[in-house]
Amino acid sequence: MTRHRYAAALTAALISFVFVAPGTLLAADKINYRLKWLFNTSVVGDLYADVQGDFADAGLAVTVKSGGPERDAIKELELGQAQFGVASADQVIRALDKGAPVVVIAQLFQVNPLQWIYRQSAPPINDLSDLKGRTIGVTFGGNDETVMRTLLAKAGLETSDVKLFNVRYDYTPFYRGQVDIWPVYRNTQGIVIGRKMQADDDPVRFFIPAGFGVKFVANSVVTSRKMIQREPDTVRRFIRALLCGWEKALDPDNSEKALDMLQQYDRDTPRELLEAQLAITRTLVKPTPDLAIGTIDVAAWKQTEAIMRDQKQIAQPVGVEKALHSEFAF
Amino acid sequence: MLPRRIVQFLIIYFLGLAGLLAVKYGLQLSNYVIPGPALIWQTFQAEAVRYLRDVLDTMSIAIIGQVLSICLALLVGIVGRQTTWFGSFVKVAAYNVQAYPIVALAPIIFILLGDGFLSRLLIAAMICYFPLLLSVLGIMAEPIRDIEHFYRMTGRMRWQLEVKIRAFENLGKLTTVVAGSATLAMAGTIVAEFIAANAGIGYSIRIALYQSDLGKILIALFLIGISLSVYQGLLEWCGAFIRRTWESN
Amino acid sequence: MASSASMQLSCRQATFRYPRTATPVFEDLSFEMPGPGFNALFGPSGVGKTTLARLLTGTSRDFAGEIRMDGIDRVLYTYNTERLPGWSAVGTHLERIVAPGQHDLRDRLVALFDMQPHLASRFAQLSLGQKNRINLIRYLLQDFQMLIMDESLANVDEPTREQIILGIKDLFPDRFFLYISHNVVEVAKFCRHILVLAAKGRARPASVVSGRDHNRDGTPDRERLERAMLEIVNAA
Repeated sequence: MTRHRYAAALTAALISFVFVAPGTLLAADKINYRLKWLFNTSVVGDLYADVQGDFADAGLAVTVKSGGPERDAIKELELGQAQFGVASADQVIRALDKGAPVVVIAQLFQVNPLQWIYRQSAPPINDLSDLKGRTIGVTFGGNDETVMRTLLAKAGLETSDVKLFNVRYDYTPFYRGQVDIWPVYRNTQGIVIGRKMQADDDPVRFFIPAGFGVKFVANSVVTSRKMIQREPDTVRRFIRALLCGWEKALDPDNSEKALDMLQQYDRDTPRELLEAQLAITRTLVKPTPDLAIGTIDVAAWKQTEAIMRDQKQIAQPVGVEKALHSEFAF
Repeated sequence: MLPRRIVQFLIIYFLGLAGLLAVKYGLQLSNYVIPGPALIWQTFQAEAVRYLRDVLDTMSIAIIGQVLSICLALLVGIVGRQTTWFGSFVKVAAYNVQAYPIVALAPIIFILLGDGFLSRLLIAAMICYFPLLLSVLGIMAEPIRDIEHFYRMTGRMRWQLEVKIRAFENLGKLTTVVAGSATLAMAGTIVAEFIAANAGIGYSIRIALYQSDLGKILIALFLIGISLSVYQGLLEWCGAFIRRTWESN
Repeated sequence: MASSASMQLSCRQATFRYPRTATPVFEDLSFEMPGPGFNALFGPSGVGKTTLARLLTGTSRDFAGEIRMDGIDRVLYTYNTERLPGWSAVGTHLERIVAPGQHDLRDRLVALFDMQPHLASRFAQLSLGQKNRINLIRYLLQDFQMLIMDESLANVDEPTREQIILGIKDLFPDRFFLYISHNVVEVAKFCRHILVLAAKGRARPASVVSGRDHNRDGTPDRERLERAMLEIVNAA
């Protein structure tokens, strides 16, 4: 082969890779489901549907992939690396703002697990104005910052009325009392920290933004617009199998089975801690017995968008309600 | 030297950017996955000044960290060049410290020193210290026999003279290593800020990552690259200047 | 300044081999060489001239046999690829290593070696011959009884070399020089004794041949010089 032909072949191969690759991935039988975070109690239903065969029963070969800080399910949907994924509402809204063809097919958490922990010995926060003068932990750039700024605005407080403290993985500033209220995921870290402090005779309380009218939607199941247009049946089968898995995982009758399974994935957390986490997860995903898991709280989504617009995190209204598609699940 | 470095950086940066845009348009990806030129420009206008300030903040720490590690590497290199027990002890200790990954040490550093200036400085210094040390040790432990012979034969050799001879003979190599370690110091500071700081470009990149904003990250990379090119160019110029003055006094 | 009326370099069955090597560099080396004077060490490449020089300076004592240096305490060894540091002019370097009271000698040497015009230059700017000359001046300004000059005048043109050797003989009559050179005419003409190390496999590994020890005032006897040369070549 001459050098020119060689170069031409290489170019052709590259071009075909760039243009054909997503199509071939989409056409494959296998489905990739990218979670938002590592395998822990927050994804118990996702794992359950996989391990207990709900996906297989629906005729789907699903690979459940753990997420992490460097993962972004919405980007993977566009790149064809995943067909379904879990993303938080702020991710979805930001993606819509930039023209990403993403749709929401179910909302996993009815109550956002992102809450703030504080000591019972501190004055209780019964009203948002009680936040005044406190040192509040927020992850700058994270959605806890967005939520907290919304709460402060709602209370008519300026940023200067409180002290915002930059939060990272290390809880020491909270243990030491440098920070009064500290953001946690209620169903995971919230339990670990709460128990540790309880053991030191320093019991805690949780400050729940939804209790003060700020409903910022958390994890939801997303897929691409192309997927719901071209393969609505796959979408339907997938989301129903997934929600069926969630229902079963959170059914108190199945809790032993669910815990056995969780222990396989999350070996570092003791079983009794997993049990407590599972109980709290139940209240966040299925707060009332009559509310079906996966229900999309449209009002909360609109509020989330409004909050992000107020804080100039998106340039223009995205009309998030147009991207919400509960018809596949129900 | 300086303009050449900047031009080289610009070529690499824009080639990379062109590659990204080719993928974007080839795969018809949205601005969320890869921002288009208009959005990148818009982000540049909105963030450039703030990010430049962040980059300079980061760089000032990287420079101090680098100076510290140069001093330390010279000190250890000079002591460790000897084939004595103490020399080899210093060398082994220096190697061992580096065997621990910074990400594992960082939490300890942040707990002990907090998340301010000192932690960033220490991590920057630690990351750029080892390659410097290796070079300095290599240079200082290698005799320049043809020059040193006379001073040894006549009993005139002192450690200062030995260090001077070896440093002078390897000035070009030292300059290259120092300029190269600037990149590492910068990377170290950015990593430190990324893990746990309240300021600097690493911190801004972390926030941009939270918000999945590749546009901001591209701007940050551009500013980091251009600042680093200028800094490295200046270091090389200083090296050449020192050599010229040393050779002509 | 050291001075010594009688000097003697002698060697009894000296054998040297580098660690972990089977073949010795030289074996059963025996000779006696009286001093002082301008003497030479001659021999084909690889017979161990430089190694012997190292043993004489005492930097290596790991050999079998005996080496004696009577009346010789301070031995210096210089070789032709030595360099001066590049941060100052060669004149400045010279100034730094000259002992008090030796400035006069320095000036005479600089004149003799024809280096006056080059004192302001850096070492790197000198020609190869100039480099060797300035290096040798440094050594001649030191306190020594024996100076081993390992091809120290390489790349110096012949008239200058003659000038320098004659000058050294005038200025340092009481020292023991061991001039390592491959130039058989030169060593036969100027040296008092020539220690010839023979190529491997020869019956006598070392022999001392008398040279013409030519001085500034005499005229060399051509016939005798040729005989000395022949003797050297035969011994090598």
